Amino acid sequence: MRELLQNATDAIRARQLLEPGHAGTVRLELMEKQDGSPPTLLFSDDGVGLTEDEIHRFLATIGESSKREEALAARRNDFIGQFGIGLLSCFMVCDELLVVTRSVRGDGRTLEWRGRHDGTYAVRQSEHPLDRPGTQVFLMARQDMTEWFAPERLRHLARHYGGLLPFPIQLTAGDRTEQLNPDGPPWRRDYESASERRKALLAYGRDVFGTDFIDCIPLHSTAGDVDGVAFVLPASPHFNARQKHRVYLKHMLLSESAENLLPEWAFFVKCVVNANALRPTASRESFYEDESLALAREALGQGLRTYLVELAHEDPRALQRLIALHGLSVKALALDDDDFYKLVIHWLPFETSMGVMTLADYRRAHPVVRYTPTLDGFRQVARVAGAQGLCIINAAYTHDAALLEKLPHVVPDAQVEPFSTADLPQSFEELTLDEREAVFPLLRMAERVLAPFRCGVVVKKFFPAEVPTLYSSDAEGVFRRDAERAREESDDLYAGVLDGVMAAAGGEPAQLCFNLHNPVVRRLAAVADREVLKLSVEMLYVQALLLGHHPLNAQEMALLNQGLLGLISAQLGGTGEGGEGGEDGGGSRGFH
Amino acid sequence: MSGDWREQAQGLWERADSMEPGEGKVRLLEEAVRLADAHADTGMGYMLRDALIDAATFGGAPDKALVAFAWCRGQQKKDPKRFDPEGMLWKQKWVVGRFKEFPHISRKQIADALDDMEQCFAKADAGKRSVLKLRYMAAREMGDEADAERLWAAWLEAPRDHLTDCRACELDDELDHHIDKGEWEQALRKARPILEGRQGCAEIPHLTLGTLLYPLFKLEHLEQARELHRRGYAMVAKNREFLATVGEHLEFLALTDNLSRGLTLLEKHLGWALEHPSHRDRFTFYASAAFLLERFQAEGGRDTVSLRLTKAYPGYRADCGYEVKALHAWVDGQAREIASRFDLRNGTDRFARLLARNRTLADEARPFAID
Repeated sequence: MRELLQNATDAIRARQLLEPGHAGTVRLELMEKQDGSPPTLLFSDDGVGLTEDEIHRFLATIGESSKREEALAARRNDFIGQFGIGLLSCFMVCDELLVVTRSVRGDGRTLEWRGRHDGTYAVRQSEHPLDRPGTQVFLMARQDMTEWFAPERLRHLARHYGGLLPFPIQLTAGDRTEQLNPDGPPWRRDYESASERRKALLAYGRDVFGTDFIDCIPLHSTAGDVDGVAFVLPASPHFNARQKHRVYLKHMLLSESAENLLPEWAFFVKCVVNANALRPTASRESFYEDESLALAREALGQGLRTYLVELAHEDPRALQRLIALHGLSVKALALDDDDFYKLVIHWLPFETSMGVMTLADYRRAHPVVRYTPTLDGFRQVARVAGAQGLCIINAAYTHDAALLEKLPHVVPDAQVEPFSTADLPQSFEELTLDEREAVFPLLRMAERVLAPFRCGVVVKKFFPAEVPTLYSSDAEGVFRRDAERAREESDDLYAGVLDGVMAAAGGEPAQLCFNLHNPVVRRLAAVADREVLKLSVEMLYVQALLLGHHPLNAQEMALLNQGLLGLISAQLGGTGEGGEGGEDGGGSRGFH
Repeated sequence: MSGDWREQAQGLWERADSMEPGEGKVRLLEEAVRLADAHADTGMGYMLRDALIDAATFGGAPDKALVAFAWCRGQQKKDPKRFDPEGMLWKQKWVVGRFKEFPHISRKQIADALDDMEQCFAKADAGKRSVLKLRYMAAREMGDEADAERLWAAWLEAPRDHLTDCRACELDDELDHHIDKGEWEQALRKARPILEGRQGCAEIPHLTLGTLLYPLFKLEHLEQARELHRRGYAMVAKNREFLATVGEHLEFLALTDNLSRGLTLLEKHLGWALEHPSHRDRFTFYASAAFLLERFQAEGGRDTVSLRLTKAYPGYRADCGYEVKALHAWVDGQAREIASRFDLRNGTDRFARLLARNRTLADEARPFAID
């Protein structure tokens, strides 16, 4: 059906070039046999018809049926080539084919070609001349293919492929004749009102895609001569992948799964379009990536953008609803387009340590925009930051970090800073002079103990008080830890390579911040026993790592194991022999 | 609690899976790996790193791919039945192939890793084609010209096998050889299947479209070059893995006097270059940026330029006004420093010669409007 419609369409268009104003009609007539033998379908057009010479040319095409896609594609671009390929496909459903044709350009004779699936054929002058130019194809259904000749099937297929063709397609079956494509593309029709139009198009969208869309957007591009309609999906697509669109090429259905028609960000719509001047790919599943397609894509994207901009101005609530559903699309566009960014950025919702809020709400309460680019980073800072009254944005989601980083470029007075655990101590309270003196032994001991771990030490006061210490490290430090674990696990060759990688990694040393609000830390500061102090620092360090989801390396794992034994031993006091790393009983004061 | 972390790691993995290649994807998988490590789950750690190597390789983090691979390799050595080295041979190729891009990895380590790879491949009954290609590329990149010439021939003669790269990748890698020799037509002919969309893969034609800009410029096929620039830049603009290719587009814009467009690329991608793990890719970008700023100075008229550079740039200015001379001195200095580190490691002068190329380019520049 698709091939025959294509042939008829090409023939009618060719005739229209010679005779402007020629309307063209395609007729399908199903001739069912009284005796129950397989029916015949007569498929006729009043197009340009074929001359004897052209018949011989298309026969040559059939002869050299090539499997190579390029050759096939090249031939499809040629009228006669396409005609031959189209006819060949008929042998999928019939063993015998009769083509009766009269050319506009010829001598007025009517010719007929009778071909069989085994490759035999005959060409001769027809005994039943046609009154007017055109082509008739008689398909004698094969016994096992009669299901394809049922009126319902024919109606469905003709509508499916040719529903948008600009000339009538008529189907006659039994004694009834109907026109299958009464109105042309629904988006080009006139409607009583805007709301009528919207209703009709949404109904059309439901018909095509089986989805209740929430809105429709007109599409138009001069490049590629494209028009159509885009439908806004009622739910966020599961994957942010390009949608499959239904595309027509010169009003014939080309594909129901074209993906490359819209810009990447536009995955919130599905569309139906017709293109008159884009090139199909050889597989006819999509359009060929060329300059016209690039320009058309830009123009169609512009149409979608205009829709969003108008929503922003005329119906901000609708835009907010759309953002709630399709935030990712909106964010992706905002990232690429400064003006659009300015328009929508403050309405975009972000997850923060104080719940989800729009950027406008956030900035009203917090003059500096602080964000963490990773989920883990966010988890580590959220609790402590919240207790200091800091509101931090979790920008681990797609586009969020990039969007926030763009803010100062577009909104000049905005202050935006990435935030990590390393920034937290700045917001913590400093010690008094007395406290400073009091914790000094602890500070010195901790520095000495943690130096081999490339970790510095500070003591401050912060909330929540239950948190005794906070471990922080920049991205390079975290990477170095990952590399260290890999080095421990790997063989000599790769361990050697990783040594170099770790030496080359820059960044600041990690830091362990003690919290003097924490009761255990306060008591620890008063401990005089150096061994107990050392052991406690080691254990607090390991605990801080674990709380921060930092996997331990071998050296740290050893600390943990020895430390546990030491603690148990200290608890047992002088009653036993004392384990390795154990102490005299006197040191246990700080741990009751 | 233990079920909880597994769910969390699984969730991170799934989210990463649905993302385009890039930094975000790498970060999610790293996080999942740390969860597995924190709970000492070697099996999970291995599986997640397997995914991380892919994400890091195609997301501009070759250093992270290396670290993850080294860990997995340790597990393979300890328990080859449970962690089959054969399953990771393909990834070993990716990882070893990029050693040369880190100046802190020594010549000996590169050679050892290639020998080791050859043995691993032999154990899996794979031929030498894969390792020969990497040997050729390492020799070329390190300026060992005679070796490169010999290995080029050996590579192309070796039969393909189940572990050789796809045809599109191989074709793309072959182009460099012809471009080195100034065989522009030949490069273009070889690239035809890629340009016409008959061959392609994850990073092809993304890389190819950038590679061909200069040959097309030399052949004065400027309209085609413009089309490749438009198509190609859009494909590489969002993934830092393509920093060097962005550099090639930058060079093309400078060559054709599209300085404003060039500056837009510079301000947009400088942040990538500042912290890119591949020093090789940094070099291409900085050298192109230096060339662009030289063109800018040569055109005359302006001493300062308004740019929205990242705060990470050491000379960052909140008012966005930059002295062209100082900016040029900085990017040029970066290119020179990297070049001297590579030349020192390699014991050749390849990078010094690559730097000198900008002078040739300056004589070749001719305007051709993109807009």
